[in-house]
Amino acid sequence: MAAQTPTLKLILVGDGGTGKTTFVKRHLTGEFEKKYLPTVGVAVHPLEFTTNCGPIRFDCWDTAGQEKFGGLRDGYYIHGQCAIIMFDVTSRTTYKNVPTWHRDITRVCEDIPIVLCGNKVDVRNRQVRAKTITFHRKKNLQYYELSAKSNYNFEKPFLYLARKLAGDPNLQFVESVALAPPEVMIDPAELAKYEAELASAAAQPLPDEDDELNDA
Amino acid sequence: MDPLANVCSNFEQVGQAFVSHYYNTFDANRSHLGQLYKDEVSMLNFEHSAERPGQYKGVSAILSKIQSLPFQQVKHHVITIDCQPTPGGGVIVMVCGNLLVDAEQIPQKFSQVFQLLPSGNGSFYILNDIFRLNIG
Repeated sequence: MAAQTPTLKLILVGDGGTGKTTFVKRHLTGEFEKKYLPTVGVAVHPLEFTTNCGPIRFDCWDTAGQEKFGGLRDGYYIHGQCAIIMFDVTSRTTYKNVPTWHRDITRVCEDIPIVLCGNKVDVRNRQVRAKTITFHRKKNLQYYELSAKSNYNFEKPFLYLARKLAGDPNLQFVESVALAPPEVMIDPAELAKYEAELASAAAQPLPDEDDELNDA
Repeated sequence: MDPLANVCSNFEQVGQAFVSHYYNTFDANRSHLGQLYKDEVSMLNFEHSAERPGQYKGVSAILSKIQSLPFQQVKHHVITIDCQPTPGGGVIVMVCGNLLVDAEQIPQKFSQVFQLLPSGNGSFYILNDIFRLNIG
């Protein structure tokens, strides 16, 4: 008998329209096997990855748009083992709301690994510059820039969370997962520029604000 | 004293007509909902909680909340309407239904309660409005 695949509840949060559903739907088997939980209004996508230590599955919780009405219920967060907070780099408001989403997660889940993701880096009209993205450094989160529509960095958040949860910084994904074909292409020069900006921002001292919730 | 001394005798018709008008306006152009509330009197609880306050008072606060909801399209599908008369010729209305926003395929269950009071010219305004998504 095969041992059961280790399965972790992954909470996906962030403002409406930041691309959470687009992101999670890229993983094709997860999209085919998703299950809808009507009482909580959530689609659960089972996202499987193969690591050098064996398979791992993230049961990724995605809302049916409830976040467009306000916060989510505690039932969405309860038993969450890891989380992704998504914002849209073309909308400053969605970045401004990141501290509120972070507070909502940590209120229920306390200390779980969290990845902050800035999505839509394929869009020309970027509004949130790398140097203004500092929240993850204050709260000790990992940060990645994504383009869900082009699959850019799709696996990065999952690899980070898998390493954290397994307690193995050398864990690797050994097979690529089947992803939906890219819908847009990103200019490699543009990407290189963003990556350089991120590296430069990471080297800057943190601004002084103590609590971004008060600034928001 | 009889609390229903000047009862609204056609409370059922008032409630039904109001619900139809309210959601048609909400789905077509929600900026027009302001005329259904009254000055500084009306109150709205919209998914209110201690962590994320959602209480609004007065037409402009209520309308600005409704207009700032971050969806482009919304369709309310009303399933049940309950109406009862309240003191002062008012009507309390409870609505249950489904709603779909933007490109979502899965409807969300909602409930909403309205306290309607007569505005004196044969019409009614919303005094209390409480909105909830019915999720666990």
